[in-house]
Amino acid sequence: MVLALSRASLCRSLPQGTVCLPNVRTYANTPPGQQSPFKIQNVKSSATPKNKKAFSRKNRIGAFRSMNPSQLTVPVLQPRSSLSMPSFKPELMTENMIGQVVAFNQTPNDPIKYFGTPKNMLLEFRLLSQRCSVIRNITILTAEELNSAASEPSHKTRYVLTGPSGCGKSFLLLQAVQYCLAKEWIVIYIPRAKTMVNSTTTHVYDLRTQTYLQPNYAQQTLRRILEVNSANLQTLTMRDGLSYDRRSFSSGTTLAQLASAGSKDPAISSVVLETLLTELCRQSKIPVLLAVDDFQSIYNQKTSYRDPHFSAIRPYHLAIPRFILEFASGKRSFPKGAIIGALTAADPAFPVTNELMDELGVPGVHPRSPYSKRSKILQEYARGLRNLPVPTEFSPREAASVFETWMRDNALTAPANDELFLAKYTESAGNPKAFVWQGILGTLEGAAPVVNESTSWPQLREGRI
Amino acid sequence: MNILRSQICTVLRRPLYRQLTTTARPFVPPAQLVFHDNLYVPGAKELDDSTVEALVGETNEREPEDDEEDPNDDRDKPHPDSPNFYTGRSSYYDNIIELQNAISRTRGTLQRLHLLPLPEFARKSLQPMPTVWKTPEEMTTDFETNMTISRYRRVTALLNELNEYLRIATTAGYADVADRIGSIISIFESGKKEAFLSRGIRKPVLLDQHGRSYTFGKRKTSAARVWMIPVKSTHETTSDVNVEEVFGLSNEPKRSSVNVTVSTILVNNIPIAEYFPQPVDRERIVRPLKVAGVLGKYNVFTIVRGGGTTGQSGAIAHGIAKGIFAHEPETGVVLKRAKLLRRDPRMVERKKTGLAKARKRYTWVKR
Repeated sequence: MVLALSRASLCRSLPQGTVCLPNVRTYANTPPGQQSPFKIQNVKSSATPKNKKAFSRKNRIGAFRSMNPSQLTVPVLQPRSSLSMPSFKPELMTENMIGQVVAFNQTPNDPIKYFGTPKNMLLEFRLLSQRCSVIRNITILTAEELNSAASEPSHKTRYVLTGPSGCGKSFLLLQAVQYCLAKEWIVIYIPRAKTMVNSTTTHVYDLRTQTYLQPNYAQQTLRRILEVNSANLQTLTMRDGLSYDRRSFSSGTTLAQLASAGSKDPAISSVVLETLLTELCRQSKIPVLLAVDDFQSIYNQKTSYRDPHFSAIRPYHLAIPRFILEFASGKRSFPKGAIIGALTAADPAFPVTNELMDELGVPGVHPRSPYSKRSKILQEYARGLRNLPVPTEFSPREAASVFETWMRDNALTAPANDELFLAKYTESAGNPKAFVWQGILGTLEGAAPVVNESTSWPQLREGRI
Repeated sequence: MNILRSQICTVLRRPLYRQLTTTARPFVPPAQLVFHDNLYVPGAKELDDSTVEALVGETNEREPEDDEEDPNDDRDKPHPDSPNFYTGRSSYYDNIIELQNAISRTRGTLQRLHLLPLPEFARKSLQPMPTVWKTPEEMTTDFETNMTISRYRRVTALLNELNEYLRIATTAGYADVADRIGSIISIFESGKKEAFLSRGIRKPVLLDQHGRSYTFGKRKTSAARVWMIPVKSTHETTSDVNVEEVFGLSNEPKRSSVNVTVSTILVNNIPIAEYFPQPVDRERIVRPLKVAGVLGKYNVFTIVRGGGTTGQSGAIAHGIAKGIFAHEPETGVVLKRAKLLRRDPRMVERKKTGLAKARKRYTWVKR
């Protein structure tokens, strides 16, 4: 519109006889605010947003970021939450603490910060003013199992947390990680194992090991392990020396030094990771926990990677998934420790496969027969895994604690009373994810309208406006 | 000559309450009619002498002894049963007269008992006795006349007046009067009275031997069968007494116990959260429990069929509301105000000819 007007005025202002080409753009007739008048329009430039799917569901979830509290100037929006809860301690794992919400405090080696968490949990922690979770009876059970596993080799304690979608498997795994860390174990936590098989990191074929190495992923993993377990790794030393690619580590170097060297250089990171794990398998001083979320993704026969013949690469041909498979199957074992995996029930890209379902005794959504396809290799890798079923629903006490936490954090739009709690509990059938996301956070219920008796206008008095 | 005298006369149709049976007039073909005069009748049979003599003897018996034979003499004609015979609608008019007599007799009785005229306040306090009279078709067969609207109205007006006197008599407590009136009225009452009076009224839902209610809910094209049973509240087993807590020495935060029972809702044997992924459907189902305030009181099992998500959730909500009403009739007012007991009558509107859909018209074209 502005352009049309300016063109018209220009044409009128020019003397007669000058050719007035409508599409010529000069400094005189470009609309204000445009940076380059000579920029050709209607051509895709690199400045336009790259991904067409900017508003797709996948990106929308990650786009939420809470504002910095210091930026809030309006008094109504000032945070005034009164969340005060005990911090997570191993001593709290007792029967009478079931239903108590505990906070994961920021520590120098905070696993949530360095290892990360699954996406839904990340969003929940962003919404809450404190990162917390509720202690359930399954938490106490898992803590007891880990206590007994602290003195046994890891191939004796290989658990997989199963249950329907939204029942709390990832949260339980995080609680296990926090518990072991507080008990001064070495913890290797992989919150999104999907990222190692969905072809998002570089993979390089290595002739020596005849597997595909993932150098960047290995580097990141080493960095995270180092950040969280630096104190414990400094006490451990290498038994054998390592020399690779013009780098050499003598036999007395601490594992912390080894890991820091590997985390700086992706070229040697894969080898360093392998060495680190081997050394951890040799030492029997400190128990090691290997916790993997999205556990079923590495048991899918076809990863998203393609080899030069365009056939899908198997997970046991990728270096890092192979490590996990070997530890999970018991072929490699820490002298003291445990392996815990948590399934993601509702991921269509990486579903729970028949081999896992057979081994764990999980019924599965679709009926499967002896004639369904199963891979012998993956069956071998799944042998010996034990099922640790997570209860599908909150008990009323646990649900009440969760409700109170969100209530104190000013998350409720409706008046907080028994009716709302019971209604949401009944609607979600106790399912934790549905209770929080669709019940508490997703409800459109609000406060009942209040009729103002003092106004003189009858419509206002009746509460219609 | 009165030929018909020797014929078998029909017995006149009597009013019903005298309960007399009817006899039909037998049909005698003209060829077999007996003529005493030797008239030529074509096709008449030749009777033999004995029959003729017998017949002649019969007629001679009945002949009057005096010579004056009046063909119109009705001494030998049987009297019609009803004085209204010559109206042609004897039973109709007989019944009308009987009803009018009954009304006047009852009025007199009630006036003597000082029950008539009744003041306004007493009329309002009379026991309601709704009646359903026979249909005009049924009355047609009874009165043997075509029951036109005006005749039907006349009859029902008299019956309604009798019904009013019955109401007065029963409310006043005069059982014998009431019985007599009732016996007259019951002849004219329709057999479908009970069904007609109970139309539109909810049948009370009974609980079975386990205390379960079984109700039906419908919405659009979905139908839901709902069973509701009260939740058995299990008392929480108290754990060992914590001595420190008792003496207030423990550092752990004091938490209040949560002793509520929770409702489980199963739809086609699947938990509600799994069957209905949308929160709006779940809220619709739980709303009757919320409105009635019985959120943790009943466990619900449903089998639902037909329709889509909205229809099925609406049908289940309807069934649950009826089930709550069955268990606790006091919640009826609240549920009714929230329009939960009402079967939502909205259905998909049909497509009409000349329109693209139910309401959508085709694009208007100027030419």
